[in-house]
Amino acid sequence: MSHVTGTSVHVETGHGHGPPPRARHWALRAGWVRAAWMTGFFFLLGLGIVVFFRWLGGYDPTLDWEPVIVVAGLTMAPLGFLAGLGGFDYWVSYALGSPTRPEDHSGHGAYTWRDYFRVNTDHKVIGIQYVSSTVFFFLAGGLMAMLVRAELARPETEFFDTQTYNELFSVHASLMIFLFIIPAFAGLANYVLPLMIGAPDMAFPRLNALSFWLLPIAGIMLLASFFFPGVGAGWTNYPPLSTEQPFGNVFFSMAVQWAGASSIMTALNFLVTIITMRAPGMTFWRMPLLVWANFTTSLLVVIATPFIAGSQFFVMFDKVMHTNFFDPGENGYALGYQHIFWFYSHPAVYIMMLPGFGIASEVISTFSRKPIFGYRLMALSLMAILVLGFSVWAHHMFVSGMATYLRVPMMVTTLLIAIPTGIKVFSWLATLWEGRLHFSAPMLWALGFVSMFVIGGLSGVMLGAVPIDIHVSDTYFIVAHIHYVLLGGSLFTIFAGIYYWFPKMTGRMYNERLAKIHFWLTLVSFNATFFPMHLIGVQGMPRRVATYEPQFGDWNLFISLSSFVLGASFMIFVYNVIVSWKSGPPAPANPWRGMTIEWLVSSPPPVFNFDEVPQVVGNPYEYGVKGARHAILNGDRAAAELEPVRST
Amino acid sequence: MRRGAIVALVSIALVVAAVTTAIAYFVDWLPEQASEERQGIDLVFWVTVAICIFFFAIVASVSIYAAVKFRVRPDDESDGAPIHGHTGIEIVWTLVPTICVVVIAVLSAIVLAQNDKPKGDPLRVDVLAQQFAWQFTYPEEGEVRATNLYLPVDRSTRLVISARDVLHSFWVPEFGQKQDAVPGIVTTLIVTPTKTGDYRLICTELCGQGHALMRTRAIVLSQPEFARWLREQQQGPAEPPPGGEVDAQGTFVQTCGGCHELEQAGTSGQIGPSLNELALDPADVEEQIRKGGGGMPAFENDLSEAQIEALVQYLVGDDA
Ligand code: HEC
Ligand SMILES: [Cu+2]
Ligand SMILES: [Cu+2]
Repeated sequence: MSHVTGTSVHVETGHGHGPPPRARHWALRAGWVRAAWMTGFFFLLGLGIVVFFRWLGGYDPTLDWEPVIVVAGLTMAPLGFLAGLGGFDYWVSYALGSPTRPEDHSGHGAYTWRDYFRVNTDHKVIGIQYVSSTVFFFLAGGLMAMLVRAELARPETEFFDTQTYNELFSVHASLMIFLFIIPAFAGLANYVLPLMIGAPDMAFPRLNALSFWLLPIAGIMLLASFFFPGVGAGWTNYPPLSTEQPFGNVFFSMAVQWAGASSIMTALNFLVTIITMRAPGMTFWRMPLLVWANFTTSLLVVIATPFIAGSQFFVMFDKVMHTNFFDPGENGYALGYQHIFWFYSHPAVYIMMLPGFGIASEVISTFSRKPIFGYRLMALSLMAILVLGFSVWAHHMFVSGMATYLRVPMMVTTLLIAIPTGIKVFSWLATLWEGRLHFSAPMLWALGFVSMFVIGGLSGVMLGAVPIDIHVSDTYFIVAHIHYVLLGGSLFTIFAGIYYWFPKMTGRMYNERLAKIHFWLTLVSFNATFFPMHLIGVQGMPRRVATYEPQFGDWNLFISLSSFVLGASFMIFVYNVIVSWKSGPPAPANPWRGMTIEWLVSSPPPVFNFDEVPQVVGNPYEYGVKGARHAILNGDRAAAELEPVRST
Repeated sequence: MRRGAIVALVSIALVVAAVTTAIAYFVDWLPEQASEERQGIDLVFWVTVAICIFFFAIVASVSIYAAVKFRVRPDDESDGAPIHGHTGIEIVWTLVPTICVVVIAVLSAIVLAQNDKPKGDPLRVDVLAQQFAWQFTYPEEGEVRATNLYLPVDRSTRLVISARDVLHSFWVPEFGQKQDAVPGIVTTLIVTPTKTGDYRLICTELCGQGHALMRTRAIVLSQPEFARWLREQQQGPAEPPPGGEVDAQGTFVQTCGGCHELEQAGTSGQIGPSLNELALDPADVEEQIRKGGGGMPAFENDLSEAQIEALVQYLVGDDA
């Protein structure tokens, strides 16, 4: 079997590979050249549309740059880029009635690094594209956090004017949420989920490719916003402040549209894949918890994301087209925005948590050599969180001035979510009990996640209680809470997942020692950075300020110094990943002795995942059960497959 | 489970609980308590912290014990006991948290209802928030106005809060109570100070470039002192008689000093440009004061004609 991803040697196989030779001029062939000129061409097209309609309507001036930026720059040009890269080729040919190339999967696999910069329909290539680009945006967002902390090291203004400072923390949060956590989980699941359910690919490979390529567009828009100031109203972008921001605020509104469209498309893809493409024998109650987690997450995404898309469109319309959704001076309703926004953004918290729960379950079970404790209750808790998650949004608005009677019911639902979440935590702990614990890097990150997430969850219970929330909302207590949940929670599980599946994805082992140093350094500096924030928040330091009372100076200096160590710890990760990917020792098919299906195939897996359809015969976590199997590729070979086979 | 395991688990849990309790007890977490509402808030805070410590101790003790006890060498290839679940224990860890959150919810709801209600006949203060200043009006006391919030001790105050431009939020950490100011709607907040003193009044909702500086003071006076303060304000020339002398410097310090640096007046605000070397003609200055713009609020409605005139004179007049 040939190895085709990463840097492994490519062996000629019977399958076709690379696009078949086509009689097209090089400038017309799908790729970066065509992407470049089509981006320009579509920009001009958008410019023409704006100018034409302004001329037709007799508006002055005919050439107004603000609508041009929105229409030509943020809408048409990205479409041109996608079309040029080949994201729409199949559908366009189909619509035009020209001959379409049937999906023979000849574009699967990546043979050189260049193949990662193409539209590729192989879920494994797309998974790697996702993870690498989200790590890039993570580093960019992290750099902004460092700048914010540098400014906050002393109480007075140090380096930035206030508008730049406001943009730094706004773009930091937006990048971390929309371009790192959410798509990083989507990327990991993209790679392993089809393998885990025994499918040859995702249900809609072309849609999958398109979903990925929307992301860099959103990311570049957020980064470009520093050249067009205006993303300075926080990632929450509350009006009227957002509609009052300089024009560049539309970069946030549009970036959210592109990233949101990407997540909705991916979620639909996951749902259809999970529902229709499970290997024979894999009932819902035999799905690994990672699959369950992505199933519930995808439901959340599909239901909730249109709300943030709507809220950002309304803000942009208020700004660009002078509608009055939220402008109180014109009978708009400022609080309406917050309701719509949080109706997405609370579920978004679970969009950023549940896939991590899935990863933690896989890792903890495998490295404890024990079945996950209470498998069915674990899956049901995910569903409970999904349902309850839609009934708590107003806990972000206890002091907002919304109808006061909403507060108590929203507090009750919020506190109730602690119950399914608690069940999950206790079940992970019970999984450790009487296990055979191996503290390899993925396990360290998963256990680090459990303990940090418990702290974040408990401060979440405190925030759920309205009287406490009234005192601490919009203070550093909130900053501490979200970082315990999103950094200690989501980021830790992302690292657990990356280390866990690194051998599978690249065919190489990472350096275990460096991975452990990375973990301990992150764990310690993370707590040093964020734990004191609880204290200064309760004592009266508001969030989103560049200057503050001198009484908080010492703590902030300590926090800033710790945060620089935290930032540096990620360099170890980057180094480890790059060096190991290039020259790490080859990975066996199943380095962790896992039972789920992705470990039954070679590392990296064959281009088409499975030469024969796997047959699922049991539960996914039957460690310690004599003779138990989750799946078999071939009845006779089953026993041999489960041994850690060196694939050469 | 063996007896030894239970003893070990309980002792680790007790140690963790003792350490976390010490951190909760010896660190000065909450700011000084200066209102009745804060008493309720603090009660909920500490009850919840206690419950959190309980769960944290359990989680920590199980993980620490498991990490030490069940760790094996890397080359150990054996598997753990195939335990799939335990209905009894799953019921316990569903029920116990449920009871705890019900306790938190009921207590919170009671405290919330109490904190929403004024005690006795409340004093009304209208709070106007705007970028980046606070203004307080006492409508039942002859429309007295101030830029610091003056309150009598031991009497409830109903703050009637509105915003002129964007969202802001009223917070005095020592009072605990917080409420957003929302343009287009009016919100209210009850505060019953219990201690005289001088506290920070902070805007906690991001409201633009001057957000961090949108601060003033909440000054709690004894009831006789407060009455005296009110009387002074009512008699004093808050709105000077037409033609009367206006204290331009005083007006500047009070109204403009928070944003503008001006040596002559001894102010050092940094939100707006320094006015030390102002190179505008009087008409432009007057226009700027009346209409605001570029981050500066309009003062047309807040300052009298005489005050505006005096300010223009003060800034760019012949004797400036
Ligand atoms: C909330 C903060 C704030 C307050 C209060 C404020 N200003 Fe300003 N002021 C500004 C800002 C910001 C600018 C810059 C406006 C611009 O760049 O267009 C400004 C500009 C000015 C200018 C023009 C300066 C120049 O060099 O162009 C004058 C004069 C001025 N303010 C006077 C006043 C006076 C008098 C008051 C008191 C009645 C006052 N300001 C109160 C924020 C404030
Ligand atoms: Cu929420
Ligand atoms: Cu503010």
